[in-house]
Amino acid sequence: MPDLLKAEQISKHYGGAAALRNAWFSLRAGEVHALMGENGAGKSTLARILAGAARPDSGAIFIHGERVQWNTPLDAQRAGVAMISQELDLFPSLSIGENLVIGNLCFGPKSFVGARRIEEFCRPYLDQVGLKRPAAAALAQLSVGEMQLVAIARALSLNARVILMDEPTSSLFEDAVERLFRLIKRLKSSGVAVAFVSHKMDEIFRICDRVTVLRDGETVGVRDIGAASPREIIRMMAGRDVNVSRKSDRAPGPVLLQARNLSTRKLKQVCFELRRGEVLGVAGLVGSGRSELGAALFGLDRITGGELRLNGRPFRPRSPHDAIRQGVGLLPEDRKLQGLMMQMSALENSSIGALSRMRRFGFVRHAEERRQVAPLWARLNLKCGAPSLPVAALSGGNQQKALLARWLLLSPDVLFLDDPARGIDVSAKEDIYGIIDELARQGKGVILVSSELPELLRCSDRILVLNNGRLSAAFDAASAAQEAILAAATSEAAS
Amino acid sequence: MTPAVKAPAPVRKDPRRLLLAAPLRSVAALGAVVALAIVISPRAADGSCIFLEPGNLTDILRQISIIGIISLAMTCVILTGGIDLSVGSILALSTSLVAMFLTRMWQNAGYAVHIAGAIAAAAAAAAAVGMLNGLVIANLRIQPFIVTLASMIGIRGLAKWLTGNANIDIGFGQDVAARFADVFRQKTIVIGAYAALAAAFWLTLSRTIFGRYVRAIGDNEKAARYAGLPIRSTKIWVYALSGLLAGIAGVLYAAENHQGNPNAGVAYELDAIAAVVIGGARLSGGAGSIAGTLVGTLIMGILTNMLRLKNVDSNVEMMIKAVIIVLAVTVQEKRNGQ
Repeated sequence: MPDLLKAEQISKHYGGAAALRNAWFSLRAGEVHALMGENGAGKSTLARILAGAARPDSGAIFIHGERVQWNTPLDAQRAGVAMISQELDLFPSLSIGENLVIGNLCFGPKSFVGARRIEEFCRPYLDQVGLKRPAAAALAQLSVGEMQLVAIARALSLNARVILMDEPTSSLFEDAVERLFRLIKRLKSSGVAVAFVSHKMDEIFRICDRVTVLRDGETVGVRDIGAASPREIIRMMAGRDVNVSRKSDRAPGPVLLQARNLSTRKLKQVCFELRRGEVLGVAGLVGSGRSELGAALFGLDRITGGELRLNGRPFRPRSPHDAIRQGVGLLPEDRKLQGLMMQMSALENSSIGALSRMRRFGFVRHAEERRQVAPLWARLNLKCGAPSLPVAALSGGNQQKALLARWLLLSPDVLFLDDPARGIDVSAKEDIYGIIDELARQGKGVILVSSELPELLRCSDRILVLNNGRLSAAFDAASAAQEAILAAATSEAAS
Repeated sequence: MTPAVKAPAPVRKDPRRLLLAAPLRSVAALGAVVALAIVISPRAADGSCIFLEPGNLTDILRQISIIGIISLAMTCVILTGGIDLSVGSILALSTSLVAMFLTRMWQNAGYAVHIAGAIAAAAAAAAAVGMLNGLVIANLRIQPFIVTLASMIGIRGLAKWLTGNANIDIGFGQDVAARFADVFRQKTIVIGAYAALAAAFWLTLSRTIFGRYVRAIGDNEKAARYAGLPIRSTKIWVYALSGLLAGIAGVLYAAENHQGNPNAGVAYELDAIAAVVIGGARLSGGAGSIAGTLVGTLIMGILTNMLRLKNVDSNVEMMIKAVIIVLAVTVQEKRNGQ
């Protein structure tokens, strides 16, 4: 089959650092092609270049064998290439229909647009992606999964022949993932080529035809999925074999944290216990209250009812500062928005919470700071060129590790980890799983929120399922079935 | 699919060079301004450069001291992502208070006690106004621009009301007020105070926990909250410091001009902000340094001096300054952004 899209010898530098070095990639009509690699391997940069959102320093892109040169995403859209970025790039304050028609070449240049014309234009595309909402509905009311469908509908309305998706499933729960995959299969059979950036091995093997692996900005190789194994792909990505650690045998100790009928603006009468040396998994859809559970424990949300006990004493944190003082930590869901100070160095980001332990008369003792942080970075396998580099220069996995080091340094009794392995590469994930296990063995209590059930099953001792702010089920991780967890997370009964 | 032609391997730059780049470039910019000043400076009869005469150089330092002192604390405020528009009014309040205390109160106290008391009272009042700004900003969560805009108006009113909208003259004689002016208008005292405060603020921002918190809050306030940092108290202190330094600047202003002036310091906040911004700070917070602000202040001071030496109309001077501000920030955006 001839290549629909081909990229050769693409190089791109950002401020002296090479993001891509002579990378190549090809895409056939009607195939689903995975683009894999560790963080910083250049997947997103390559996707952005193919979509015209970034310009390569050198290299060539061909469509149907003809060389093209794009200066803006609009140029790429004219040639039938659309990208759906992680952030979706939609306008939350506009309606679904307005999101589809705005700047849309196929809608034509119109100064005045009526609601009916928008509905007429959008309906076929919304039907195609299976979104049963009127075009006039506000985008902000939609779930993340539905917004993604809007973004795909927009791409289709541009007559896209090539759709690039950057980690489309990272913020979706299982049912929305299934819907997306069904849609991708339909697109494929209609001849659309889909390039799919993902970290999730099982997804790649389920829906992709071929996989291209990048490492350090270079294309390592391309494989037919039928002829590849996950182990081989991991080795291609990492350049080495990755050790997969097992959960160690742990014996949970006395009760550390106890919630009775805990209620906040989002939680309804949640009851649970966390023991020392235990990892408590929390499953639930985005918006189920799983992040709000952390907000309640960390003094971010006001507790409106019920009670919390920490080490047997009543616990009612008034602020994160107060929660930390009493021994509760939280690794937030969004490390860039809620976690890191991006202009500060990785070292400063790791030490910022515990500066009182490395001071003399209010001055930071810099040698002491390094002495305390270095062993934690070693434990986390965090590598960075110079500790004084801005944390923004690190890869996603290393950023997350720098943030986790902040909590290891503070060493709270209870640590709430909100999706700690989201969007980071395979080996960094393993490092983080190892730390979770280590914390439990030290007698800490860990609460682990995750969108990925295999991750929860692997790391946790018990799993709570939240649904619409209520606790809908609890499972022993050793005997829980994914289907049962999924059913408890998605059933309507709890609402 | 293998590439036929090998492109030359890209040169990887040492990322640490990026860290060095920012301060080096400010120093380079300062060097360029100094060089320009030397070249276009008028010559004395013996052919020497008037700009480089020690008297002229120290004049520049003295002239920038008042704005310079204000801009030190303004750097902290801007680092937290805030702004303080009230410093010009606080300076006016401080000049008025110090003059009032010296000329109308405590007439039977000893000279030293009287002068120290007057300065302390003016500085304390200024710091209190700053702290009030901080309390409102931190506790009521109103934007700093709005809070300090309000106190810029209100404090100006307070200064005018206290003085009956009239200057309070500090005479030239042997009384306590004149003594005060004689001491605190000396070049060494003014420049010394500026240098000492600059050193203290540089140390505070680069070496202390407080300085780290200031940068962290401006970089990402939400993350600072999640890290459990004392955001409220840090902000309150930052605005209190801003008020205190405006107060100290006011004391020096009163001595320099031999009067307490409730109309003093109009638009000084903008000059201070300009110096901070030319020094590489970002109004969104998190980026900026005392060294940069010193450079920014010096650039503005040298420019003013240069243009005055050349007898350039002061209105033209303002237009030239406007261009310099935009130019300086453009250069910085180029080096920061992709």
